[in-house]
Amino acid sequence: MINFSRVSLVYPTSTKTILEDLSFEIAEGEMVLVIGSTGTGKSSLLRLINGLVPHHTGGILAGDITVGGVSTQLVRPGELAHLVGIVGQNPAQGFVTDIVEEELAFGMEALNIAPDVMRKRVEEILDLLALAHLRNRAISTLSGGEQQRVAIGSALVMNPKVLVLDEPTSALDPIAAEEVLSILHRLVHDLSLTVVIAEHRLERVIGFADRIIHIAGDGSAEINLPEEILKRSEIAPPIVHLARALGLSDVGLSVREVRRMTEEIRASGKDIPREVGQLGEIAIRTNKLSLTYGEKKALNEVSTQIHSGEIVALMGRNGAGKSSLLTTLVGINKLSSGSSEINGIKSVDLKGQVRRETVGFIPQEPSDLLYGQSVQGECQQADRDNQSAPGSTFALLKRIVPSINPETHPRDLSEGQRLALALAIVISAQPKVLILDEPTRGLDYQSKALLISLLKNFAKELNRSVLIATHDVELVAELCDRVIFLAEGEVVADGPTLDILLSSPAFAPQVAKVMSPRPWLTVSDVMRAVAE
Amino acid sequence: MKTFTSDIYKFSRSSKIALALTSVFAAAGFTWPFFASDMESARFAQYFFWVAMPLAFALLLTQLSDRSLDAKSVALLGMLAALLAALRPLGAGAIGIEPMWFLLILAARVFGSAFGFLLGALGMLASALFTGGVGPWLTYQIFAAGVIGLLAGAFAKDLRGWREQIYLLLIAIVCALGYGLLMNLQFWPWALGTNTQLSFIPGGDIQINLRRFISFHFLSSMAWDIPRAILTSVLVVTTGPAVLAALRRTKKRAAFLTPIEFSERLS
Repeated sequence: MINFSRVSLVYPTSTKTILEDLSFEIAEGEMVLVIGSTGTGKSSLLRLINGLVPHHTGGILAGDITVGGVSTQLVRPGELAHLVGIVGQNPAQGFVTDIVEEELAFGMEALNIAPDVMRKRVEEILDLLALAHLRNRAISTLSGGEQQRVAIGSALVMNPKVLVLDEPTSALDPIAAEEVLSILHRLVHDLSLTVVIAEHRLERVIGFADRIIHIAGDGSAEINLPEEILKRSEIAPPIVHLARALGLSDVGLSVREVRRMTEEIRASGKDIPREVGQLGEIAIRTNKLSLTYGEKKALNEVSTQIHSGEIVALMGRNGAGKSSLLTTLVGINKLSSGSSEINGIKSVDLKGQVRRETVGFIPQEPSDLLYGQSVQGECQQADRDNQSAPGSTFALLKRIVPSINPETHPRDLSEGQRLALALAIVISAQPKVLILDEPTRGLDYQSKALLISLLKNFAKELNRSVLIATHDVELVAELCDRVIFLAEGEVVADGPTLDILLSSPAFAPQVAKVMSPRPWLTVSDVMRAVAE
Repeated sequence: MKTFTSDIYKFSRSSKIALALTSVFAAAGFTWPFFASDMESARFAQYFFWVAMPLAFALLLTQLSDRSLDAKSVALLGMLAALLAALRPLGAGAIGIEPMWFLLILAARVFGSAFGFLLGALGMLASALFTGGVGPWLTYQIFAAGVIGLLAGAFAKDLRGWREQIYLLLIAIVCALGYGLLMNLQFWPWALGTNTQLSFIPGGDIQINLRRFISFHFLSSMAWDIPRAILTSVLVVTTGPAVLAALRRTKKRAAFLTPIEFSERLS
């Protein structure tokens, strides 16, 4: 269906070869996963398939790419629209209309398809993607998973043979991601659709992929079966790291397989002693905190304390009140009743200089904090605000991401770099408390490891507290001391990470699922249990 | 095989001819009061241009959008025209406070005069449909907005920094005042009736008519053109650096006119 023959790609503004001498064939009805670190050319590879690269971006393309027998060299991307559907990372950026039904019809209108055919196809797609009950809803009111389904639907409605998705689940919580992936799985099996998908969170997609294309970053790439690629690849889900660390001969791709291989270890491993840390003084204190938006109760009598030196995760479904609690703590929302204070200062009194020094807050979209024209400008502004030595923020940033270019516009940075910039700016003010909302969206494994070590240093060495709202159980397992679980605006569970994560199978990290019932959350836990 | 990605919208040769012809026609539409010989012919001219200007302009637009408008240009044009249309009624239109001109000037500066002409014309058309301001004056407004876009993008393309700011300030003042002048010109013959001291005299001496028009213009424009010029200049100066940077970044990211090369091997 898709044929790359000796393909190389260079962009006009750089001398770096993005892809070099890449040849592969993807058959009809195959689901192929593209992996690689940020900035290695995953998106370029995806856009080569429908000709957006180089027809819209410019560049030198050597070799030949054919899709369904049509060479992308000879036709413009528009003429491949009926053959290749493409879905971007953030579905909200691709929508043209307001209503679900209209959005589905839009592509067909552009292709000049007869109205009666359009009606029929819209109905088919609504059924296929289980969107029928949402047909008249405004797109902006849909949840992330539903929006992503609408985006996939509006690509599928043109009846393409190939569907290309760029990180379709990175902005979604685990349940919504599952929803999207199972639909893709069905499309591949029922309609024999060819799917090419780029994704960072391998633990979610690895079970669905037939083959993997691994882009190394120096232009070379390898295509092979998942088992073969993951044996060597640096980018791998936690269970593969576990299998490697234990020196197993095979890597398993599902919890079931690895469980079978590790029976002996579960039986023989020793219990690891629990570390009981010293609790510092109280940094955040809320007492019967309630918040209402109009009729809706967002938070209901939340009482909790967070000590300095603690790293706490805030978990719960979408809409459980995580973001509401965070924004209330930093004083953005006016609370309805109860009290909340940070370091003895009431949240609502946090303003200007005092706020910067007391609490650092990074919202879900870090670019909300970034208004400068360049990375350099942002860093200088932060230096001035904090009255610190010129260049100190930039030096901190360089430590986190050494490769960053100071002239880049903040919005042109990759997701991970943008987060690093926001972090550097916030940390440079040396706040007593750091609060982050969903910091790992769109981060690759490397950036995530970096974030974890940075936050650990910040909390443990400087004895400051960190509060993170997240869906990412692997992050929580690696990083956090304590988990607060919210549902419907109420605290339903609060305790050490180990107890909370092990108590529910839906929130257990992969390693814990493999090692259940032994209480080991991460690869390093297991290694310590085996070693002692 | 070496080609380029599509360029930002530029006039083709036939477009230029069409534009020149329409401009001559529009000039006649604006200035006929000075040349009409009597009441009869003045009335004829008025009705003639009310009908003929929209037709001529529709022809021009179809010619301009005939070819060479690729997806990226259309997307930019659509978005900016929608912004202009949304900005115009923000000041409620009273005493000339229409915060659309600064964006038209800045966008035309970045994307060039051909793009500026289309943008001005489409933005004005869209805002008229949006606010219900449709009438015989509309084509005159559309054409004047197009010309402002054309001028704003035409000169001194290499200026940057404070020199560019001063240049843009001048353009803003000239455009805001010029627009008022043109609008008064099409408004004047039928605005005052026939027997005031400032009224248009059909078949009168050019000099007398011109003097009357100029007095009319300065009396009425005090309340309209000067606030418009002040608002536009203030907006150009305050938002200019940020908006220009954003638009230039867009232009760069859209990769207009970037080389595409297909080859057998990478050499």
